Amino acid sequence: MKKFSQLAIPYIVWAALMILLPLLLIILYAFTKPGNEFIQFSLTLEHFAKFFTDPDFLLVLWRSLVIAFKTTLICGVLGYPVAYFIARSNDRVRNILILAITLPMWINMLVRTYAWIGLLSDGGILQKLLGLLGFGEPKLLYTEGAVLLGMVYNFIPFMILQINTSLCKLDHSLLEASADLGADRFQTFWRVVFPLSLPGVVSGITLVFLPAVSSFFIPKLLGGGQYFLIGNVIENQFITVGEWNFGSAISLIMVMVMMLSMYAVRRLDRSGGREEDRL
Amino acid sequence: MKKFCALVMALVLTVLSAGCGGSSGASGEGEFAGQTLRVYNWGEYTGENLIANFEAATGARVVMDIFDSNEQMYIKVANGEAYDILVPSDYMIERLIQEDMLQPLDKSKLDCMDLLVDEVKGLPYDPNNDYSVPYFWGTVGIVYDTEKVSLEDLEAEGFNIFLNEKYKGDIYLYDSERDSFMMALKALGCSMNTSDQAELEAAYNWLLQCVNTMEPEIVTDEIIDSMAQGRKALGLIYSGDAAYIMSENPQMGFFMPESGTNLWSDAMVIPKNAENPDLAHAFINYVSSYEGAMDNSSYVGYTSPNKEVMEELSGEGGDYEGINAYTPQRDNANDEVFAYDEETRKVISELFSKVKIAASNAG
Repeated sequence: MKKFSQLAIPYIVWAALMILLPLLLIILYAFTKPGNEFIQFSLTLEHFAKFFTDPDFLLVLWRSLVIAFKTTLICGVLGYPVAYFIARSNDRVRNILILAITLPMWINMLVRTYAWIGLLSDGGILQKLLGLLGFGEPKLLYTEGAVLLGMVYNFIPFMILQINTSLCKLDHSLLEASADLGADRFQTFWRVVFPLSLPGVVSGITLVFLPAVSSFFIPKLLGGGQYFLIGNVIENQFITVGEWNFGSAISLIMVMVMMLSMYAVRRLDRSGGREEDRL
Repeated sequence: MKKFCALVMALVLTVLSAGCGGSSGASGEGEFAGQTLRVYNWGEYTGENLIANFEAATGARVVMDIFDSNEQMYIKVANGEAYDILVPSDYMIERLIQEDMLQPLDKSKLDCMDLLVDEVKGLPYDPNNDYSVPYFWGTVGIVYDTEKVSLEDLEAEGFNIFLNEKYKGDIYLYDSERDSFMMALKALGCSMNTSDQAELEAAYNWLLQCVNTMEPEIVTDEIIDSMAQGRKALGLIYSGDAAYIMSENPQMGFFMPESGTNLWSDAMVIPKNAENPDLAHAFINYVSSYEGAMDNSSYVGYTSPNKEVMEELSGEGGDYEGINAYTPQRDNANDEVFAYDEETRKVISELFSKVKIAASNAG
């Protein structure tokens, strides 16, 4: 047994170097003034003050949260029925469908998002198609709709797979019991199936909301140069402005926001869990 | 068994070495046969046959890497990557000279300086062309749809036309902090190289007003196709891109405001750590020669520093006949060349990121 735990040492070293150390550096940068020497640095809270006193930054943060919320909602509403359908199919069909959901994920996300640029661009296939159907030729690329579409498209597999897993684990005898006790199909779904699948929904929400709120290349590619979310602000501070300290401070604020939302979602999970106990 | 393995290895090695020998042998009777030139250049910035012809003429092999911003180029070179030729812009050359990263050109090996237009020689970033030979040059101006925008408006307002609500929702800005601030500063009658806080603040407010009231789209290279298709009325653009747009769509025009604009040039330089400076000099000569410059300029569309090529392409029967964007030189004391100033760059960079955030919140 001891031998086995020793096998984890490379991973622990790796995690410390690649995850813990950068995080510590971000914290260090966030609380220090720019232009510090390696040994000597002066602590400051000015980056946080700068962020929270500027309505523009707060508005960007708010817009990022809103669009991430919309993305999560759409992924849930669209993803649940798909997951339900997959879970109720027979083994062979289910495997094919799961493969169909995961197959696109074998291709790099960036490449797939670039493909959407071609589809949505002015004079592209979708615009021409809408024109033929009599919708005029609306502008598709570089709109908020395009960003939302890109996010839902990229993140919905996570939602479907999570919900599907929890639905597959569902004990069929519970459904039989429910029918036995006189519940119709609708009641069975709302009172038995849905509450039991909540853990899957919750982890789906986490897996969609967190990357969506911090995503920066989807808004960059599909939203255009004048569409900034908080991820773009951070990227911009690092790459273009060169303000690593301020960029780190915003990153740290984002970490806090994410931890808070995780906490909120966990609460949801637990209250769902209690309902499960009551059943 | 061992013997068999050794035999196979020997065979493989023979084939491999024959392969290598073959390729260098094939490319080479020229003076530089078997040598390699490493070039670091902008994307889509060389003529169709330029590299192949240079290889054929010299017997050397050319490896070209691509960058899409001066800063990206700087970081890679500063980290010790060895290239023989770089093609940065004016202000970046100034920085490289200041930081002692370039080697002076050996003028006895250059036979091209007399072929070049006077306007691109001896510019402030390298007054005697001790380090650089121009590659392409041009200005920044306004590309406009002659059916939608009147020349009178442009002449009266200059860059301030980007604040004229008549064209609300019908304009492109260029996603570059330097060019955006250049436009705002010139619209306000300031020098684009100012480091005065109040002037920079005024330019920032000018840009804020633009993004808050005009619904601009902030784009980069998409502007080329979009304006060629006439999607919007006005856009801030590099002269070379405007030349291409106008050759595709005769309804488009190019205008340079009287208040002045940015006179830019990209030039070839040889970094300190170049491994083959002799070959680099040969490359500079070839690119500047009639043959090389013609290939470059007719294919890419930016203005050639080679006088003969520029005159032929803009003259009667040339590819850019009657297109004013191709010949951007003029006498205007307000036109300036970018100077390198790290402090101001940081200020502008931060202000421009706030302009983009404001644009995003306004949208």
